[in-house]
Amino acid sequence: MSYIIVICILGLLGIGFYCLLITRNLLKLVVALQVLVKGAMLAVLFAGCLVDNMEVAQSMALTIIVADTIVAVIGLAMAIQVRQITNTSNIRSISTLRK
Amino acid sequence: MTAILIALIILFPWFGAVIIWLMKDEQEKLTHILAMSFTAFSAVLSLVLLTRIGQDQISAYSLGIGMGDLAFSADALGIILTCIANCIGCLAVVFSKDYMNGEKDLQRYYSMILLFIGAMSGLVLTSNAMLIFFFWEITALCSYQLISFYNDDPKAVRGGLKALFITQFGGIGLLLGSLLIFSQTGSLDIQHFIAAAQAGEISSAALAVAGFGLIAAAAAKSSQFPFFTWLPDAMEAPTPVSALIHAATMVNAGVYLLCRFAPAFQGVAGWNTTVLWVGIITILLSSVMAIFANDLKRVLAYSTVSQLGFLFAAIGAGSVTASQFHLLSHAIFKALLFLCAGAVIHSVGTRDMRLMGNLYKKMKPVAICFIIGACSLAGIPIFNGFWSKELILEAIHSGAPLSVYILMLFAVILTAIYSIRCVWMVFFGKEKSELHVHEPGRFMKYSLYVLAAGTVVSWLTFGGFSNAFSKSLPHHEIEAESLGKFLSTIIKDPLTYLAIFMVILGIVLWIFHKPGPSKAVLPKVLETCAVNSFGFEIINEKIIDKIQNLSEFSRELQSGILNWNIFGVLTGLVLILIVLGIGG
Amino acid sequence: MKNNLILWLLFTPMISSVVVYVVGRFLAPNDTEKPNKTVWLCVAGIAATFVPFILSSINILNGKSVATTIGDITLAFDGISMLVSLTVLILGLAVILFSVDYMAAEHSEEKFYGLLMILITSIIGLSTSTDLFNIYIWFELMAVSTYSLVAFYRNRATSLEAGIKYLTQSAAGSIFIILGIAMIFGTTGKISMQDIPALIASSKRIMIAAGACFITGYGIKCAFVPMHFWLPDAHSQAPSGVSAMLSGIVIETGLIALLRSLSALNPAAASFGIIFLLIGALNMLIGNLGALRQSEVKRMFAFSSISHMGYIALGIGFFLTFQESTASADGVFFHIFNHAMMKGLAFLAAGAIVFNLKQAKGDHSPLMVKDLDGISQKYPWYALLLSIAVLALGGLPPLAGFISKWQIFAGGALSKNPWAMFLIVFAGINSVLSLGYYAPLVNRMYRHQPSQTVLAGISKCSATMLASLILLGIFVVLLGLFPMLISNYTGSASSALLNMFR
Repeated sequence: MSYIIVICILGLLGIGFYCLLITRNLLKLVVALQVLVKGAMLAVLFAGCLVDNMEVAQSMALTIIVADTIVAVIGLAMAIQVRQITNTSNIRSISTLRK
Repeated sequence: MTAILIALIILFPWFGAVIIWLMKDEQEKLTHILAMSFTAFSAVLSLVLLTRIGQDQISAYSLGIGMGDLAFSADALGIILTCIANCIGCLAVVFSKDYMNGEKDLQRYYSMILLFIGAMSGLVLTSNAMLIFFFWEITALCSYQLISFYNDDPKAVRGGLKALFITQFGGIGLLLGSLLIFSQTGSLDIQHFIAAAQAGEISSAALAVAGFGLIAAAAAKSSQFPFFTWLPDAMEAPTPVSALIHAATMVNAGVYLLCRFAPAFQGVAGWNTTVLWVGIITILLSSVMAIFANDLKRVLAYSTVSQLGFLFAAIGAGSVTASQFHLLSHAIFKALLFLCAGAVIHSVGTRDMRLMGNLYKKMKPVAICFIIGACSLAGIPIFNGFWSKELILEAIHSGAPLSVYILMLFAVILTAIYSIRCVWMVFFGKEKSELHVHEPGRFMKYSLYVLAAGTVVSWLTFGGFSNAFSKSLPHHEIEAESLGKFLSTIIKDPLTYLAIFMVILGIVLWIFHKPGPSKAVLPKVLETCAVNSFGFEIINEKIIDKIQNLSEFSRELQSGILNWNIFGVLTGLVLILIVLGIGG
Repeated sequence: MKNNLILWLLFTPMISSVVVYVVGRFLAPNDTEKPNKTVWLCVAGIAATFVPFILSSINILNGKSVATTIGDITLAFDGISMLVSLTVLILGLAVILFSVDYMAAEHSEEKFYGLLMILITSIIGLSTSTDLFNIYIWFELMAVSTYSLVAFYRNRATSLEAGIKYLTQSAAGSIFIILGIAMIFGTTGKISMQDIPALIASSKRIMIAAGACFITGYGIKCAFVPMHFWLPDAHSQAPSGVSAMLSGIVIETGLIALLRSLSALNPAAASFGIIFLLIGALNMLIGNLGALRQSEVKRMFAFSSISHMGYIALGIGFFLTFQESTASADGVFFHIFNHAMMKGLAFLAAGAIVFNLKQAKGDHSPLMVKDLDGISQKYPWYALLLSIAVLALGGLPPLAGFISKWQIFAGGALSKNPWAMFLIVFAGINSVLSLGYYAPLVNRMYRHQPSQTVLAGISKCSATMLASLILLGIFVVLLGLFPMLISNYTGSASSALLNMFR
């Protein structure tokens, strides 16, 4: 059982980082971050299971959800703003800051 | 009393710097007067301080963890250098009254000079190794600001930055040295360190690293081999600044550092020899460069470098007194030469000696002062440079191998050649062009006369000088010698006449050489090498190039692509895991 | 009262952030050129926060502890919190004063001030927390408030770009932090930093994995190379006041969070020390090389922040690796404070110049190095203060940066380890290298012939801007000459660090 959860966690993290490494779309970026957070949250809950302390784990998970939602909201707001200004959701096409 | 004097002598010029900075552009006259009065007062203070030479250690409160105490010592080494800095600083400021008349940004000019003078006093008076570094860096800051005073001129900016980088780079040696002192003795007190080193309580490896670090720092600050390239470029500074910083005070800081720490490193194998050879190589290279240079200020700059080489050689041969006595002479006659050169440049409007000639008739007082300075530089008897150079030659004869002494005699010939060449090209010979000559100002002449008088008589102080050194520096083990004894030793010594003969030989050689481009191979090769600073300029430029390429390469890493940034994060994680895996 | 001091310390800025925002909504002036009056409420909020801060500090300096417990959460005000709060309050005050005129013409200023107060709250809160998860929460709050601040100019594509890059990297960092917490929690069942070391000492692998997660996660905020790529973009695009906050205190707070979290893994502290030493060396080099050929002023300062984090990390590395190097910790905290003042001053002075030259430049193009030509002729005070800031950053005395760098090095030297000496020499070379971009700036500013941009700038200098610059400038000069003025604060911060790790 615990192996499956570990694999799930690693799978979610893997998918999330893979997505962050290749995507150019702002919305997919936010989705990738969401996937990553889900993986991390699963890790927290799993840790709670291991030490048999679900109350603390659950309260942590809830707090993470709140924090993560705020981040997602701000990220989406920025993505929309970018779309409105430049008419694109491709992060490469607004990447002017370099060197 | 001593404590108050020391505090005043550092803080008073700094206070003056702040006041002058706040002056308005319109208050030009007031700015000059304020600067003169501030420096004059601190010069008086420094002369009063001369009477307090002793073994006093003054220590106030602690500065904080790892920083030692705010501590000063009132020994001859420090106080005499303070006097030189303050008095010559005062004369340079008086000279500036005319020289800088009508210039913009006088506030910055005078503030930096005052900040510099205060820092120089602090540097030589403190007995805390961290504070030496502290003041050391302030002098670097001020000299950089003053060299690049004419910021609109790219050459001046370049010269200033070069001085800053090279002296700072050398300063790392001092940083290393003082940190090793701290780590080995647990305190930053220099006297304590010297005592511990002499007692053999410090590990020889640490002592050696500290010793060579200090040599690097001193060589960079005093513009010695292989760091001598900055001083000639520093000549873009206004001439009074050249006189103050690049002849009389700042470059002496390196020599001071070695003199201060010399007793601690007597046990380090090769330390004295290294100092000796750094000195000698510098003397030879820079003398040759001086012979081939055509810019009046550059000739003086190279001669400064070579005279500082004499000071290094003297320390290497084990005679701190000889080194310091020549330092005193050199500070006076070189300030005189620079200020004369300033008067000449101010009058004729060019620095190129090839365009000058036959100026003797047009500006007699300046010419006579310059000739006095040049005679002293060449080592012609009765001027102060003669006596102190004899002292160095004597020290090298007794404290170093004969081959070194022979090289030194050769250096004396070279010195004579470039001195006479410079005097001849500027003041005699054919008139090269129709230059309109201004009469030098009143204040310029005053400071020249004072310095010329100093050049003629300063060697009379030898008795008091040597007495002060032996009395106040217990670790250096210096024997006092009276003026009479000193004179009689030099006059009776046949080697003195050999040296005088070398000087005359040099002058004769120059007078009888064929003017115009030489056909022989050796002088030609030498000239090419000398004009190109023996390749050291190219090395400097290569290093700058390499660093800039590296910088451009590292900027490519900042690709601005988000995916790449995330890749950086993951790489970081992997690297950290690897290092932790190996380490743990 | 004593037990509630921390709550007051946290509630005062938190409540003022709400008040500032709400009142600001109503007070929003019709004339968009005038500053919103709510800014003075913000100043009052900072001033009010100083009261509980000073009361708590007196307790700490007298050797008493200040702590409070609400439910399972314990907040403790120690030496580190004291130093961090002092820094953030002084810098915050300067930034708010600076922003009065700087932000006056911007849309929804009140949001800016509200977020700034939240930022200040979160930094103070972070410095007082005692358990792993609580730190993460404050850290996330700090991050969230800065996302919006970085992308404050929401109609500029570059500003949004910087914001998105910052958000993505920072959010990815949070994942690692959560993972680290999960690992430790899954091994010990505790999240309070004091309880963990005894329980975890036997599970070496977990310690290494969790430590690496923390260093990566918080390291992104601290701009540790190679996780630093967001920083030059964010710092150069944010409003100048925010750049000052970010560089001056936010990245350092990341380091405090990292240290607090690592203290839970105390038994492995020495091996983390090596990481800090390596990162320190890398950061100095990459930061300086990046800044060396930079033609944009704020971006140059941003790269210089990376190199300064290198000095700080080096000091932490000395402290963790070598038992003797406790003085390095003093140096680190001193440098954190000094860096806040110096870099704050640099960014604000650059911002003030941007503000005065804005119309001359005609658009929102960044301040270039060549725009600074001859600025001293027109704005002598700005030129002087910016010169002081950059020379202090370059480590030249008699300014503050020199002293704290020296203290870090002196601590390292006490270890008598040849590698430590080597790193110190390397750091010294980097300081010289950094003058390669600071010193030419000063030369430019003191040219006699101003550039066209400067000539076309507004002549009038804003009084509040100048006041904020002078406030920071005084610290930079004063601490260089009298380093003992702050030694009480750095001393108790360093002993708090000592408590955490030894």
